[in-house]
Amino acid sequence: MTNNIAVGTPATNNDLLERNNNILDWLSQSGIFVFTFVLILVASVAIDGFASLANITDVFNRAAPIGIVAVGMTFVVISANYLDLSVVAQVATAAVVLIGMSNEYNIIAAFALAMLIAFAYGLVNGLAVGVFKANAVIVTLATTFIGLGLLRWLTGGSIYFGPPESLIRSFGTTKIGPFPLSMLVLIIMALLLSLVLTRTNFGFLVRSYGSNRDATRLAGVNTALVVIGAFMISSFGAMIGGFVLAAFSNTAVSSMSTGYDFEALAAIIVGGTSVFGGRGSVMRTVLGVVFVSVLTNIMVLSGLGFGYQQMAIGSLIVAAVAIDALARKATAL
Amino acid sequence: MTALKSPIKKPNVASQGGLAGFGRQFRTVMARRTEGRALALLLVVGIIAAIFEPLVFTSYSATLGRIALIGLVALGLAAVILMGELDLSVASTLAVAGVVMASIDSLPLGIAAALLVGLVIGVVNAFFVMGFGINSFIATLGMLFFLRGSAFVLSGEEPVRLTNRDAGIAFGKPLIGPLTPRMLLFILAFIILQVFVTRVRIGREFYAVGGNREAALDAGIPVTRRIFTGFMISGFVAALAGVINTLERTAADPTAGSTVLLASFAAAIIGGVLLTGGRGSIFGTLLGATSLGILQVALTLSGVQVDVQNIVIGLVLLIAVITDPNSLRAVAGSARSFLQRRSRSQAGG
Amino acid sequence: MKRTMRKQLPYKLALLLIGALAFAACGGDGDSDSADGGASGDGDYQVYALLPQGNDQPYGTTYLPPMEAKAKELGIELTITNSQYDADKQASECEVAVAAKPDLIILWPAIGDTVRPCLEAAKDAGIPVTATNSDVNPEDKDLIRGYSGPDTYGQGKASAEIMCDQAGGADIGIIVVNGLTGNSTAINRRDGFVEHVEGNCPNISILAEQPGDWNKDTSQIAASEMITAVGAENIQGVYAADDTMVAGAIDALKSRDIDPSGLIITSIGNTLLGNPLVISGELDGTIFQSSSWDGENAVVLAHDVLTGKDVEADLFMPSVKVTADNAEAADVAPEW
Repeated sequence: MTNNIAVGTPATNNDLLERNNNILDWLSQSGIFVFTFVLILVASVAIDGFASLANITDVFNRAAPIGIVAVGMTFVVISANYLDLSVVAQVATAAVVLIGMSNEYNIIAAFALAMLIAFAYGLVNGLAVGVFKANAVIVTLATTFIGLGLLRWLTGGSIYFGPPESLIRSFGTTKIGPFPLSMLVLIIMALLLSLVLTRTNFGFLVRSYGSNRDATRLAGVNTALVVIGAFMISSFGAMIGGFVLAAFSNTAVSSMSTGYDFEALAAIIVGGTSVFGGRGSVMRTVLGVVFVSVLTNIMVLSGLGFGYQQMAIGSLIVAAVAIDALARKATAL
Repeated sequence: MTALKSPIKKPNVASQGGLAGFGRQFRTVMARRTEGRALALLLVVGIIAAIFEPLVFTSYSATLGRIALIGLVALGLAAVILMGELDLSVASTLAVAGVVMASIDSLPLGIAAALLVGLVIGVVNAFFVMGFGINSFIATLGMLFFLRGSAFVLSGEEPVRLTNRDAGIAFGKPLIGPLTPRMLLFILAFIILQVFVTRVRIGREFYAVGGNREAALDAGIPVTRRIFTGFMISGFVAALAGVINTLERTAADPTAGSTVLLASFAAAIIGGVLLTGGRGSIFGTLLGATSLGILQVALTLSGVQVDVQNIVIGLVLLIAVITDPNSLRAVAGSARSFLQRRSRSQAGG
Repeated sequence: MKRTMRKQLPYKLALLLIGALAFAACGGDGDSDSADGGASGDGDYQVYALLPQGNDQPYGTTYLPPMEAKAKELGIELTITNSQYDADKQASECEVAVAAKPDLIILWPAIGDTVRPCLEAAKDAGIPVTATNSDVNPEDKDLIRGYSGPDTYGQGKASAEIMCDQAGGADIGIIVVNGLTGNSTAINRRDGFVEHVEGNCPNISILAEQPGDWNKDTSQIAASEMITAVGAENIQGVYAADDTMVAGAIDALKSRDIDPSGLIITSIGNTLLGNPLVISGELDGTIFQSSSWDGENAVVLAHDVLTGKDVEADLFMPSVKVTADNAEAADVAPEW
């Protein structure tokens, strides 16, 4: 126990050291808040309809499913394991299970099976990365191949429709003000996971493992369990993300989550969570998701096509990380 | 704390530091070991294919074509991975290079421009990594999005046809024996890169850069320059693959490369290239690409549906990565410490 | 102690790997055997079908079973590949197919502009080729023996015709939801729709267009954002390149309390999702695309070529317009 505290102390010291008045550091720490605020402000003035209730709902609809996946994946990133590519397979599987099983049996059975599958994904990914010390990119790439292959092989790849009136459907269409229920799920998930990351021993271990692997291990921590836990949370997020996505469209098909892996990671990075591990927060991820969703929304409103949207996201990632990296350099000097 | 930490780092330092002779020997042993694993896979896949689908070997030109398709990008990628960096932008580089090439009417000019684009992308990637100190995984992820977007914008979101389609069709025909220009270029790229990382000093230093960057710096290796070289190789090779694909297909497709990134990563990893750098070989990557190519062609010929093929490839990848010597040592290590802890607690109780 | 363990490792590894691989390979082979046993029948003819989709897309899912059933009935042994719309992968599969020297190759081009080398290779090897679902380019037509499938350009055009009819010369503004960016079906359908509208009913103006990626959720958000961009009061019509996406667009209208039956809405597909929308009056018209017709006729055309029958250059799937008048008729019962 005393060892744990010893591991944490240098990290906290570092955080304090970094908080100097350097402008780059300020940008990397608070940039995302300011950028999001400025972007929203400018768009509200410059673009007709941006600030309308209906459009705010659209932004939230864009942000919610990917955001839920991203807040879960944040744990994997903070534990310095790059990312969880298998969320693509997991989101699609959860969506197909939710709609397919609800049609065949009932929603309870759907939840149970989806939980089981999410658990299996978290366990396999976590074991391979945590115990076998295999690279997370390759492990989750392999489980994506296996998972999508199994899903398509077993279901024949069909598209599943929910009935026009159902619990799932009403969840997907209900709004409270401009907030679709899915956005409330994102907020609740984010608050919950934020507490886990900052207030629990597990969250503390995830952060310290991310910032210094060897020290954490030498302090007698069972690092395998920490990694398995991080992947479990990622799987949990992917499952809920799949549910929300399925409820929103009332359909499920194995190709619906294409691109979720790197899009979720992009949001995490833009939010300012460091891929070097250790540094970052769940709330930053939420901001990152909102920022990317607002930006995409603005580009669609301005009639810019897919190519420009991708270019913008790419530039954003590099800019966000460049600022972070320059700030680190300045601090180190 | 430092006293506890040093035993872990020691093998690396010893292998890279002043004891250059021992270090090289150590590296060669490590490299041979990883190739052994790829070789075992190749043997298994080859024997099974020979029994069930002899067509894989009797019609070897198609199999070679598949291997060259997967392998070329993987070879360039291996150069970067050896140094402990990643390049996720290879697939988008391939697409952009193709679009640039097809957009230029003159074929030689188009090819030159496309290859130049590849080199420039390599320089930009390396600049982000070394100049800003951005993790290469993220820098090249940004480039992945940016270049994919550029390919769509430049092409107007539609395939771009070559002006000279006949030249493209001629390019796809066998040149020497059954070997098409694609295979010859692939073999050439393999030989050049293999010689480069084993016989040329600059190339050999890639291992040192990947193994222990601090030690490499101390030993006077210009790490920054090596990283630039590595990314330029990777960008150039990806662009070359884009050029070859565009020529062979007679058109450039902005969505090209959608299955390339993951396949080439898989080939490099199966070939024993360690993602944290410092270990692996170009030859191993060739073995990895060959096993993967034979596996895919054999499964296709025997009519196994794609979903099942993907399950098999995923399993092979998972097995390859968890049977890595380092992985097994990690498992053995944690099992030992677990048992020790248990026996100690039992003794205490 | 540590040394010996290290020395043994490679051998153990090799053994483990061989075991696991043999297991994996047997699993795969076992499956293929049963699949072959089911599909081959007598196997009078060996045919390769190079497709860009399969169980990974809803259309492919309902295209494959009728294709396989018909092949079994006609004594054709099918080997099916799926290139996932990667033209380079498909070209490599084409090389493999040509090397296997089947009696015929059925090609569904991933990217139409890229298949000429494949067609020439097959021609040099003396293997006849037929095209299914997406036709080859006009200048490549002499390299194939025939085409069966929908006229994707014609489908876009037919959907535009419904739109023009319903507008009846009134000046209206519409928004357009396209398929996946860069996908050839998406490009052809868009061109068919847009060119017909521009050429024949200039009273219809396209106010905005965005991709919906063949997804309902993507389409719903994109449509909703286009409504914001151009203003709901300016929109009197919506076109989406397939029924799944039009269902998303209709949901977008509903969530803004706009009654979709007040707008002219057309799409393509007449799927299990779209047909009920036509019956309920929310969707004004769609174009029937029968996946079973498509899959079956790919094999029938191949069989006709193999048995030396004269075949037409194009066997087009009838592009039946489905509107409120005929939506419940048996001959347009949705399939996918």
